[in-house]
Order: sequence, then C-alpha cells, then structure tokens
Amino acid sequence: MKKDRNYTDKVHLWGSIWSISALAVLFSVPLIFSIANNTYPQLTVLFKALAAVVPIYWGTAIVEVITYTPLLGAGGTYLSFVTGNISNLKMPCAMNAMERADVKANSEEGEIISTISIGASAITTTLVIAVGVIAFAPLLPHITADGSVIKPAFQYVIPALFGALCASYLAKYWKLAIVPILIGVIVYIFSPTMPVGTMIFITIVVSLANGFAMYKLKLV
Amino acid sequence: MDFKTGPLMYGLAAFVILFVIVQSVFFIAKAWKRGIEIGVPKEKLKQTVISSALFTIAPAISILATVLALASALGIVLPWIRLSVIGNLAYETVAAESALNVLGGSLSQEVTDKQQFSTIAWTMTIGSCFPLVLLPILCKKVHKAMGKAVSGNKIDEKLGDVLGAAAFIGIIAAFVSRAIAGVETNGVSAGVMSVSVLISAMIFTIALDYLCKKKSLKKLEAFVLPIAMFGAMGIAILISQTLPANIAEFTWR
Repeated sequence: MKKDRNYTDKVHLWGSIWSISALAVLFSVPLIFSIANNTYPQLTVLFKALAAVVPIYWGTAIVEVITYTPLLGAGGTYLSFVTGNISNLKMPCAMNAMERADVKANSEEGEIISTISIGASAITTTLVIAVGVIAFAPLLPHITADGSVIKPAFQYVIPALFGALCASYLAKYWKLAIVPILIGVIVYIFSPTMPVGTMIFITIVVSLANGFAMYKLKLV
Repeated sequence: MDFKTGPLMYGLAAFVILFVIVQSVFFIAKAWKRGIEIGVPKEKLKQTVISSALFTIAPAISILATVLALASALGIVLPWIRLSVIGNLAYETVAAESALNVLGGSLSQEVTDKQQFSTIAWTMTIGSCFPLVLLPILCKKVHKAMGKAVSGNKIDEKLGDVLGAAAFIGIIAAFVSRAIAGVETNGVSAGVMSVSVLISAMIFTIALDYLCKKKSLKKLEAFVLPIAMFGAMGIAILISQTLPANIAEFTWR
C-alpha cells in the first residue's frame, strides 16, 4: 500500500510542475509576439474583452477541476487540462479505454489506463492538427478569398458547429435547452448587435437557474 | 510576409507542440512503468494506446475544422497553437469573437492590425489559463477527498450533472439564438443562410445519431459531429450556388 501512495503522490508532484511549466509556455506565445513586434494590447480593450469571458471561463474551470479529477484520475487530469478539449474528447476517450480494459476509474489500474489513454489521445490530436494545418495552409487563401465558391461554408461555420453541438445536447437535455435559447432570441430581437460574450453570460445564468429550478421541480 | 503566419509564429507553434508531446510521453512512460509493476498485462497497455489513438482521430478532425474556421480571421498559426494547449472548440471561438466584438470587428473578417491581433491572443490566453493555476492547488485535495468518499452522494451527483449540462447549454444557446435573431458586428446577420445552416447541422446530427443507434454503428458515433458540421457547411455552398441571391442573402436583422 505504501508504494501505491507514493506513486499517486509522485503524480501530483509531476503534475504540478508540468502545469506551471505549461502556464509559462502558454503565456510565452502572446508575450513573445508582443515583444518581437513591439505591439502590446490596448488595456481598455483587453479588459472589456476579458470581462466577457473570464467570469464564465474561470468559474467553469473551478467546476471542471472538481468534476473531472475523480473521473480522470490524477495523471489523466493534469494531462487533459494542458491539452484541452476535455468534455468533447479526452473524457469520452478515457472512459472508453477504461471500459475496454475493464478497470474502475478510482482504482490504480484505472489511473494508469486513463493516463495512457489521455496521453495517446493528446499526441494523436496534436499530430492530426499539425498535419492538417501544414497540408491546408497553402490552400487557405484560395478557400477564403472573396468570390470563392467555398467561402460561404467558412462564413457559416459557427452556426454549423453550434447547430451540430446543440442537436447532440438536445437529444439528451432538450428540456433544459428550451428556456435559454428562447431568452437568447428574445434578447437579440430587442438588442440585435449585443456582443456574443455578453449574451453568453446572460444565457448561462438563465440556463443554470432554469436547470436548478427544473431539478428542484423534478422536471429533469 | 503576413505577421500572423510569419516564421516567429511557426516557431512558437513548434515549441508548444513539442511541449505537449514531451509531456504526454512523460506521463505515458511513468504510467506504463507503474502498470507493469502492479501487474497490468503489457497487451492491455498496448491496446489502450491503439484504441485511444483511433478514438481520437474523428474528434481531432473537428478540432482541425475549428482551426481552419478561425484561420480566415486570425491566420492559421494562432488558432493552431490555442487549440493545441488547453484549447476547446467552443471556448477559443468565444474568446476570439469576444475580443473582436469589443474592437468592432468579427471573426468573418481578416485581422490585419498587429495590436488587434495581440489583444486577441492575450484575451484567448488569459481567458483559458485558469485551470493550470488551479490544478497545483486543487487537484490533489479533490483527488484525496474523492478517494475517501468513493461512492459519493447520488442526489448531488445528479444535480451536478444537470448544472454541468446547463452551463454548456448556456454557451450553445447564445450562439444558436444569435444565428436566429442576432447580428455579428460588421459580419454575418441572421437570415436565410444562418438559419438554414443551423437547422441542417441539427438535422444531420439527429439523422446520424439515429442511424448509429438503429444500425448499431458504434464506429460512426465519433464521426457524427464532424460529418454534420461539414454537411451543413456544404449546405451553405449549395444555397449560395443554387438560390437567387436575393433569397440566399436575405437577412432579417
């Protein structure tokens, strides 16, 4: 047993070191760009933009760390938070691997299978994106140029993405989705140019209140 | 040379990708060694790597589609970097769009100003960095606490599921309602195209999900989202090519 505890403790130590290093790597990108080009963001604009995303993202981050840690194990959690796309990729991938290997998430075997699964998934994702980017980069100017036949496809990628995401959520939680979408439409009718960041704040608050109420009323 | 796709940006991308791969290999190696120590069969570990890599290919393609979608405004390298570290389909789009909205622009237009680009890059980075700050503080505590209360409270678990889904639905609702009734600054207004694309993406998803269940095509499941998305994007091309411009380009906002 002593050895088991040692392994988990070591994972937490490695995880903390990697997380802090990842933070440094993450910030090096805008920092090096800014220094090299001697262009720093306008602080007022930056604060306004952040005001729209930070309350939601940072709030979600707390919920996500608490929710995913028990499901993904220590190593899996550290790895998946660095590479992202947890709910739409890392989480189902690890669940699938643990099920195939017939191990439980809270066992040490589960911890190991989950870590290996998420690691393999992270490497695959990175490679698929890298290959795709290198293959598509030369074609891109032609794809998105004015008058290009394909241009409308990329102009409407956001409705396409959220339409597809919405349908897969509607299948499971359609009762939860009606009120927030309706409120969103009504707000847009009165204020059509509202920035989407502001709207997200409104619809999330509405959606959470609605979800809580429906749960209490035993409607979900 | 476009500053968005210059050697500096490619260099940064290479650095980030190298970091992600080294970290993944590190954790796989440690877990692998420990697995052998506690008697997990090597074959099982190998199978895990193979099945996880296969499982990932389709969702990774849909992430690639987001990179390409953001590329027309931000160049290909920044979205590539952002979606390789912490990035998430919905979050990165929202962060970039939010910054562009404050600047009076939109993702449907190319960003040509360095300062705007820098502002967007900082917004995306600061917006998404928080989990990495939290993990060293919280992960061990949560992990230990959960270890003690393995079974947990069933009722709270259900409420947690509902609120988790509700938060995500909130994000989706903002975009769906904008496609129905909103306007992007300097960009696409709600109209025939946006609603047709939205609805066809939904129909494709529902139809594909139905097909998966009906024909028990487990393998197709991972492809549903990317196929539906590309299908709906195809509908946009079809509409712009076949319908008269006054119908295809009709907007009500």
